[in-house]
Amino acid sequence: MKPKVIIAAVIVVAFIIFGSYSFLESNVEYTDVSGAMKTHKKVQLKGAWNKDRESAFDVKTSTFTFYLKDDNGQECKVVLDGAAPNNFEMATSVVAKGRYMPDQGYFHATEVLTKCPSKYEAQAEEVKKST
Amino acid sequence: MLGGIFVKLAFLACLVSIIGFFENHRTGNARALRVGRIFFHTTVVTILIIAAAQLYNILTHQFQYTYVWSYSSRDLSLPLLISTFYAGQEGSFMLWTLFTALIGVFLMADSSRKGYEPQVMSVYGTIQLMLLLMMVVKNPFAYVWESWPGQVEVGFAPKDGRGLNPLLQNYWMVIHPQVLFSGFAAMGVPYAYAVAALMKRDYNNWIRPATPWIVYGATVLGCGIMMGGFWAYETLGWGGYWGWDPVENSSLVPWLFSVGTIHTILTQRKSGAFVRTNLVMAMMCFLMVLYSTFLTRSGVLGDTSVHSFVDPGMWVYWLLIGIIGLFVGIGGVMLFLRRKEIPKIPPKHSYVSREFALFLGSATLVTAAVFITVGTSSPIITQILQGKTTAVDISYYVTTTVPLGIVIGMLTGIGQLLWWNRTDKASILKVLAIPIGIALAATLASVLLLQLHDFVVALLVFGAVFALAANLQVGWRIVKGNPKFAGGSIAHVGLAIMFLGFVGSAKYDDKQTVSLAQGEAVHCLGGYKLTYTGYKPIDHEKYAFEVNVEKEGRQYVVAPIMYYSKYNDGLMRNPDIVNLITKDFYLAPLSLEQAGSGEDAATKQLSFKKGETKKIGELEVMFVDFDFPVDQKAAMLEGREVKIGATLQVKQYGKKPVEVSPSKVMNQGQVIDKPAMFDEKHQFTIVSMKPDRENKDNSTVEIGYKELGAGSSKKADSDVLVVEASIKPYINLVWSGVIVVLVGFIVTIVRRAQEARLKEQVA
Repeated sequence: MKPKVIIAAVIVVAFIIFGSYSFLESNVEYTDVSGAMKTHKKVQLKGAWNKDRESAFDVKTSTFTFYLKDDNGQECKVVLDGAAPNNFEMATSVVAKGRYMPDQGYFHATEVLTKCPSKYEAQAEEVKKST
Repeated sequence: MLGGIFVKLAFLACLVSIIGFFENHRTGNARALRVGRIFFHTTVVTILIIAAAQLYNILTHQFQYTYVWSYSSRDLSLPLLISTFYAGQEGSFMLWTLFTALIGVFLMADSSRKGYEPQVMSVYGTIQLMLLLMMVVKNPFAYVWESWPGQVEVGFAPKDGRGLNPLLQNYWMVIHPQVLFSGFAAMGVPYAYAVAALMKRDYNNWIRPATPWIVYGATVLGCGIMMGGFWAYETLGWGGYWGWDPVENSSLVPWLFSVGTIHTILTQRKSGAFVRTNLVMAMMCFLMVLYSTFLTRSGVLGDTSVHSFVDPGMWVYWLLIGIIGLFVGIGGVMLFLRRKEIPKIPPKHSYVSREFALFLGSATLVTAAVFITVGTSSPIITQILQGKTTAVDISYYVTTTVPLGIVIGMLTGIGQLLWWNRTDKASILKVLAIPIGIALAATLASVLLLQLHDFVVALLVFGAVFALAANLQVGWRIVKGNPKFAGGSIAHVGLAIMFLGFVGSAKYDDKQTVSLAQGEAVHCLGGYKLTYTGYKPIDHEKYAFEVNVEKEGRQYVVAPIMYYSKYNDGLMRNPDIVNLITKDFYLAPLSLEQAGSGEDAATKQLSFKKGETKKIGELEVMFVDFDFPVDQKAAMLEGREVKIGATLQVKQYGKKPVEVSPSKVMNQGQVIDKPAMFDEKHQFTIVSMKPDRENKDNSTVEIGYKELGAGSSKKADSDVLVVEASIKPYINLVWSGVIVVLVGFIVTIVRRAQEARLKEQVA
């Protein structure tokens, strides 16, 4: 083996290790409410906004509070830093990134992503309504 | 209907043209070449007709077409109406097809002059064919009754469409997608040339005609990426120009490959080495475009993107996988067939040579592209490895790319110096001394004066300043000699400026959320005085919220916009920016709390039957009974002050239930609310009572509930505008850096195109 090849191999391996380490380190798991409650790690909480419950923007702390219901029907209070994202109201499902705070009893989100219905979910009813 | 037929016609014509070109490649039959050319032109004309038909449908509001109904409406302005052409998935594929066709016309002429026509066009035609196949499968001309068979009666024409998402109603929507998709279309050209080279067994000459196209693709795609960033920053209010979103990444990765290819191709021109690498790299530019399209268009990433595309159906998913398989297959099989013939020229250059620096630079770009691709694909990777989809945090991209940025900064400097001074090592060190000195001084200054205490970021500053100094030094000498050759230096100078902008805007940004009561000045972010002066309506029921910004005696007016969107059934917000040369003052609106409405907004009303339990927040509330003691009944009869209440049992999770009794006091027609507190935070009031004398269990009470601290507890005297104010230092460096890079690219295209033409005249 030429030393050149060895050096190249070492660099490649180092990059792979560096990459995989960063990958695992910053991998944020998708989870439901009970999963989020179990861990202290940052997770992505997936569910839908429960519109029957109150939601409000708090001027003092600049946080937006709403209730998220996951696929199992379990509910959780979510406090988001900042205001509700632009498409929040029409989102069919939302993903809250953050961690559960057991002491305060809510999920503290730093970011909320929204998934919106596109035309593929447009209903025939809606077409008829356009008359 | 007609549109759908034309799509199929274009598909067939394209197929015939590929057969013609390929037949000419195999046999040299001149008639086959003519067939190929005629049918390719037929394809292009048919695609133009298709696009014109769709545009006509949109402009004349033919809402019986599902696509037109889905994305446009009568109230859109003309430019926005035109932009609905590519607002949806079918439309963006049509735009891509259209650009592929237009570029194809020029490519056919150009490759014909350079003797690559049958090969290049049979491969490029296949790309065109697959895009047309997408359109056959997802017909952009479907009628509403075809989209919802049985539910919408045949021949039904809605009066108006669903309209365009307000997020897209912006001038950037009018220009950004075109630029991006023409970049995607241009990336097909290097792929076509690489496969053509393998078909022709011509492993060296192909890079000359291909280079201007690769640089062109990189320029246009780079331009598109920049516009996307500017759009996100300026109007969408995402707070930044780059969010490592899958859609952003998916245009960045092919761009990194194309820039890497530009560098390795330079080496091959010089030393003849890296033949195989260049073939693979040129193919990767296009394959990554396809893979990115798959990631963002198949629904596979689901929830991980801000752009959030909903599953377009299994057909599109498998077709995209099939298309990727086809083009990986074509490239892979050709490389395998020619594996023994491809000349293996060992790179002879030493480790201190421009060629080696170019190779390393390209390898670093590819590494960055790989890291980003792995990150973007993380939901797929984790699904396969652990059966659960998870995504990486944005921090992943930062940790992996910043070190590579340092390497790139160093290499762009060293590479340029070596290129100019390819002599002995002693003189190289002498040339290196000046830029290293400047870089050291600048880094030291930022550590000491600007409190830059992050080691990795300090290294990035060093790398960027070194690259800047070295490239200015070399660039200046080149410009004095022959400015045409300065493309590389200019682009690298731009890159260095951009890096410094990244550091400034990401490392030193400062933000604060402030509540601005109308007319009251609020100080924030050290030295900014903000006064909300009021709002005024602008077009389409939008409102501009005017805020006076005062800083060191100078005054600016910013007017971020908020409006309710019927389309999104929600509040839309656009930020506003003051550009202060060294920094941007960025004001993003969050909400408007209107005077007097504060209390009502935070109060929630719930109706209870006797004995019923309801959840409010983290509390469980049960209505026990009315609190109406006998003596109060007597008082009521005598017309004295009466107190009527309701007893509630309130239970907080994990704690003992507590009785809470809000009441109303009535005296001579006046009613006073006596709220009751559960603890210092939760307040209950009685809104109304409906006692049922016949059946006590049917009695109901309407309870008002309020969480103090959440929402304003006392009525606001005036409107309060809540905004997020932030300072983005040196953001102008990012934009100006990008523009300098693009200028460098354009200079390079001109030079390489002239050179390729010259070569052709000689040959």
